[in-house]
Amino acid sequence: MNSDQSTRLAVAFARETARSATARLCTACVDVLAVTGAGITIMGGEQAGPICVSDDRVAALEDLQYAIGQGPCRDAFSSGISVHAPRLDGEVSARWPSFVSLARKSGIGAVFAYPLIAWGAKVGVLTLYQKGEGELTTAQHDDSLALAEVLTETVLSLQDDAPSGALAAGLDDAVQYRAEIYQASGMVAIQLMIPAEEALLRIRAYAFANDQTVADVAALIVARRLRLPNDHQPETED
Amino acid sequence: MTGDAFAKAATRQTLTATTFVEIVDTLVGDFDVIEVLTLLTSRCVELLDAAAAGILLADGDGHLRVIGASTEQIQLLELFQVQNNEGPCLDCFRTGQVVLHSDLDAVSPWPQFAAECATAGFASVCAVPLRLQAHTLGCLNMFMAEPGGLTTSDVALAQALADVASIAIIQDQATRDSAIREGQLQHALNSRIAIEQAKGMIAENGQIDMDEAFSRLRSYARSHNRGLTELAEALVVGVVKVDAIGPRQQPT
Repeated sequence: MNSDQSTRLAVAFARETARSATARLCTACVDVLAVTGAGITIMGGEQAGPICVSDDRVAALEDLQYAIGQGPCRDAFSSGISVHAPRLDGEVSARWPSFVSLARKSGIGAVFAYPLIAWGAKVGVLTLYQKGEGELTTAQHDDSLALAEVLTETVLSLQDDAPSGALAAGLDDAVQYRAEIYQASGMVAIQLMIPAEEALLRIRAYAFANDQTVADVAALIVARRLRLPNDHQPETED
Repeated sequence: MTGDAFAKAATRQTLTATTFVEIVDTLVGDFDVIEVLTLLTSRCVELLDAAAAGILLADGDGHLRVIGASTEQIQLLELFQVQNNEGPCLDCFRTGQVVLHSDLDAVSPWPQFAAECATAGFASVCAVPLRLQAHTLGCLNMFMAEPGGLTTSDVALAQALADVASIAIIQDQATRDSAIREGQLQHALNSRIAIEQAKGMIAENGQIDMDEAFSRLRSYARSHNRGLTELAEALVVGVVKVDAIGPRQQPT
């Protein structure tokens, strides 16, 4: 089979996959790559949301990366190349201390993140979690690269079919999952008279400082049981 | 082989290799497809016994357009073919095959084109297709001062160069499409997030719940004939004030 034929097959496969439930994509990745867990996140600038996770443990790790704005997922997305952490110690734990601490507590020994990238379009990240330490095999690595490309086409194909300007139904989970966080950022924006983007950063900072998840803090704000303090000190006085 | 001929062959071999490296190099990272094709025409003149070269590509509607040429004069000759709907390039594009005409002074299948060539000082012409499998994207035209056309090995080299150029064109197209699709996804994602943020803003401002906030957002959009996502984005960036959606209530 020449490479053009395999590209066409992959595109056809991706379009087919796009029609089935996105929730099953992670299970498929776990099965095909023989890894412990997987998460698929779509990203756009600072915004990110998982379209699926293979289990709760993965969900918590993906949430933490979003909350603190660091981790293999973000590194893979910004660099555009795969990030390999076959052991969660030394240099890796210095780079992502909170992530490594939670991953270890969750019984994760190794993490690998592949950017969803094809023809220069970057749409998100596929993160693979392994119970044991150690590099992926060459075959697993090659398959992950291929899967990442297929997943990119899947995500783009899903969006191609959506009504103009609207997010595809299959990708809506990425926003719906964090809906309360975005709603809370809108509320804090009004309370503190700051832009919504900044409000989101305040919520993340508050959660981190108080050792709570961003989702929990957002839920309290939306339920009107928590108001963030207006601790912003103007740098200059008019 | 004489010393001179040997040196010339060695130089040509080096230039051929350099040309391929140059074209492949441009494929890594950002590149300007017009620049690649113009480079191809000038290298054709240096490598082959051609006096000039030009490239035509089909647009979305299948009409050929002049993309690059080694000289201004060739630009005009190529344009002439397109306008008069005759010439080696058109035949090459239609059939996807190499068209070689070794003596334009003899009976030519393109009488008007042959006359224009004679005036410009060209005696023979060769056109090779820019192709991707069965699909012809356009063609590369070479003009020679002497009758006799190109040798078989020159034609093969021209075709190899044309094939590399075809990859550049296809890659350029795919990258453009991809950038548009990525942009659409990013915009849809951010708009969808803006709706949730706008709901939070309206809910806090009016001291109401999210469902009520969403229906206020929707009815404002409807009564002001605005798109829901566009209105949400305008609220988030402050172009539309949240007080416009409903009066501010003090929290109890």
